[in-house]
Formats: sequence, C-alpha cells, structure tokens
Amino acid sequence: MQSAIELQGLKKSFRLVHGQAGSIKALLLSFKRRKPEELMALKGVDLSIAKGETLAVIGRNGSGKSTMLGIVGRIYKPTSGKVIVHGRVSALLELGAGFHPELTGIENIYLNGAILGIKTRDMKSKVDEIVRFAELEKFIDTPIKGYSKGMVMRLGFAIAVQVDPDILLVDEVLAVGDEAFQAKCYEKISEFQRLGKTIVFVSHDLPAVRRVASRVVWLDKGVIRMDGPTGQVVDAYMAGVAADEQH
Amino acid sequence: MFSELAELFKYRDLLIQLVARDLKVRYKNSVLGFFWSLINPLVQVATITIVFKYVMPIGIPNYSAYLLVAYLPWMFFQMSLLDASQSVLSHYDLLKKVYFPREVLPLSMVIANMIHFLLAIVVFFVYLLVIGAPIVSTWWLLPVLVIIEFLLVTGLAFIVSALNVFYADIKYIVSVLLNIFFYLTPIIYMSEMVYTRLQAMGYGALYTLYQLSPLNAIVMAFREALLPPYGVPPGKTMPFAFHDMPLDYRFLAIAAAVSIIVFIAGYSFFNSRKWSFAEQL
Repeated sequence: MQSAIELQGLKKSFRLVHGQAGSIKALLLSFKRRKPEELMALKGVDLSIAKGETLAVIGRNGSGKSTMLGIVGRIYKPTSGKVIVHGRVSALLELGAGFHPELTGIENIYLNGAILGIKTRDMKSKVDEIVRFAELEKFIDTPIKGYSKGMVMRLGFAIAVQVDPDILLVDEVLAVGDEAFQAKCYEKISEFQRLGKTIVFVSHDLPAVRRVASRVVWLDKGVIRMDGPTGQVVDAYMAGVAADEQH
Repeated sequence: MFSELAELFKYRDLLIQLVARDLKVRYKNSVLGFFWSLINPLVQVATITIVFKYVMPIGIPNYSAYLLVAYLPWMFFQMSLLDASQSVLSHYDLLKKVYFPREVLPLSMVIANMIHFLLAIVVFFVYLLVIGAPIVSTWWLLPVLVIIEFLLVTGLAFIVSALNVFYADIKYIVSVLLNIFFYLTPIIYMSEMVYTRLQAMGYGALYTLYQLSPLNAIVMAFREALLPPYGVPPGKTMPFAFHDMPLDYRFLAIAAAVSIIVFIAGYSFFNSRKWSFAEQL
C-alpha cells in the first residue's frame, strides 16, 4: 500500500526562552548566560500513514501531538529526521484563524481561501456552496465582528473543507457548533473517507476518535507509546490515564 | 532564493487578497475613507509650506511643489516600514496554524502603501496642472524611481519585520530612526543647500557621501525628474546663495544597485528566519 505520509526518526526541539523574551536586553544578557534550555517535543518518531487511512493521534497535553501535526503541515521545520508527504496537505487547525473582524463574510471567504492556497478564480465557484454549508445566507454581507462564535467556526469549517486536499490535518475542531452542524461535519469527514483521502487528526475527544479513526497512535512525551487499531489503543490509553491518576 | 520566489508566485492570490484587505480595512469606518491617505500628506505639506514661506523663508517659488514631490516618496518609505515592522507579529495566530510563504505579510504592507503613493502621485500631477507648472520631459523616470524605491523599502521591510518577531524593541528603533532620517533626507530643504554649506566649510567631499545614501539619491531624483529647476530670487532670504543642480545619473545608478543589494540581502535574511517565527513562543 502506498503511503501518504512518512515520518522517519522525527525529532523536534524548541528553545525555551526565560524571563525577558523578545527584547534587545535579553539579547545582550544572553551573551553572558549559558545556552537556552531546549525542550524536546518529539524524540524520534517513525510513522507511516497509508493513503486513505484515517489516523487519530491521542495523548496527554504536551505529548507532542500538535507539534507532529505542525511539522506535517509545514508550520515547523523538524530539528532532525525526515518528513515525506505525497499529495496536497490542508490543515483544519483552529477554524477562522485568518478572519478579519472588519471584513464581511464574503470578503473573509476569499481571504481565508487564499491563505489556504486556493486561487481566487477557483474560489468564485465555491462561494455559494460555502455559504450554504455554513448556513449563513442572511449574514454573509455583514462584517464578521457581529457573528457569534458558532457562526465564525461554521464559516471556517465550510471554507477549510473546500480546499479539496489529498491529506486533511484536523486539530481539535470536530466539536464545533450545535448537534446539527456537528452531524454535517461528521458527514463531511466520512465523505472525505469515501473519496479515499487521508485524514490525520488530533483530539482529546475519545468518542469522536472511536467514531472516525481506523487507526490510533498514542503519543507520550514525544515518543509513540502505542500504535494500532482504534479500540485497542483507546482502551489502553484510558487505562493508562486512570493508572496515572491513582499515583 | 529563486525557489522561494517561485513559491511566492504560487501564492500571488494571497498577496492580492492581503493588499485588498489592507486597503479596505484601513479606512473602513471613516466617512472620508481613502481621502485620509491624501489629506494626511497635504496637511503636513501645507503646514511645512507656511513655516518655510513666512516664518523661515526659503525663497523658492512654488516651494510647496518641491516639498510635496519629496514628501510623497518619503511617506511611502516611512509608512511601509512602520506597517511592515508589525506585519509578522500581528499575524502570529495565523503563523502558528497555517503554512503560507511568510514574506507575503511585509510585502503586502509595502504594496498597499505603494498603491497609496501612486494615487498621491496622480493627485500631485493634477496639482501641477492646476498651478500651471510645466510637466518636464524626464517624467518618464517616474516608474524607474518607484521600482528602485520599492526594492529598497521591501528589503528593509523584510529585515525589520523579521527582527521585530525576536526583539520587540525594533519597532521603537525604527520609529526613532525614521524621525532622524526625515531631517537627514533633503525633504523640507534642498540638497543643494547641503552642498553649498559643505563647500563653504571645506568639506565638499562629504557631499559625495551624502549622495551615496540611496534614500537621498532617490528623493533628489524624484525632485529633479518631476519638476523643473527651481529659481531662487537673488539675495532674497537665505543667508547664502544656492542654485539647482541637475539630476546626477551616476548616483541614481548607484542607488539602484544598492537597492537591489538591500532587497536580496533583506529577503535572504527573512528567509533564514521565517521558519523560526512560529517557534518564538
């Protein structure tokens, strides 16, 4: 089976800046001090994700889940190791990050589409579908500063799924909007699955993981602790978390 | 650098959208809207003109035209750098979530300011027609000058926007330097006055150094290329006599070369830093 994403010996460290970060004073002081502390977020991850697979990444806060997704999504460069990606990647990371409150819904659709790499020309044919999916027909010509949080997220999701990627990265966004909209989101996810797209998603929402993923990777302090079929890994993870809490 | 430029070209629609956003948002809730970007320089120029006509008379007929022709490129320079210095930092949320070529952020600020500048230049030509000033034959240099200044400004914008992510002091340093350079650059006064004074003090050679600054050379070229030589009524007001000197193409060529170097160096610097922006917690 052909792989969509290959991670080989992936390591990522972040520099921890203490105290007066981001000033000239810090720069001058740093000449005298020892090297800044390094935080290893990923300590050597090997992972192969097949085309068409839906993989969930679970783990406690600080386990490196989001860092891993960020590297696949080209937000971070790995410190060492290799990332091989076959196909067009789109990130569904925290919806509406690129929205501007003063612009109308329509204006934000074009802007956000461009941020996600969609040509304005291609966007024109998608606008109606986006507005319909987000259920915002009445408000689309008003500035989004007047939108509710749910409306903003719906618009963000509606745009992101229009990118038509080969690989979709999802970071904690399936819990968007009301029940009806969530149902639409899950419908869209299964449509992606039917179309043979690869989905990698990060979530703390274990029921959602059980529902959507076919394979789960459990990350723990920057290394893969377990990798396997959804039921097994989620059960082991829950047992592990319960055991940790007893200590 | 060429692969970076190719990637940037792929994201040209994003650049256009960001420029459009900036133009739309800047004056969104104001009644006069876009006219504010004209009113600001015009009020500045009117104020300076009153001072240099009546309080400290400089003795140049149509002084306001000679001031405006230098003030508009200066505005472009200043506003671009101030906007660009904040551009990466103010999109921090986005940088941590989505991949796109980071250079679109400062670049869109420079382009938005350049559009304001070009529209102001159009108004400037209308103003020349109204006061009945002749349009000089070297006006065709205008696009060349705009391109040279664009390269210089963009190169500097790359540097300040990248540095500002790591050192919050940069935006203050930029604004202090801009205040100093407003007076070091021949905007409210004529470069020939500097020449005349340096000659009289026996430091004539320093004027070469003065012209080597690309910003000085560009501002001087705007003035010489778009307006006829100014006439100074003899012995009228200033304590020393000075006269218009023609555009020195050698220094314009040097300014062009320096601007290209600044652009390449600035872009390379930005590229070397841009993937650590999102990691700067």
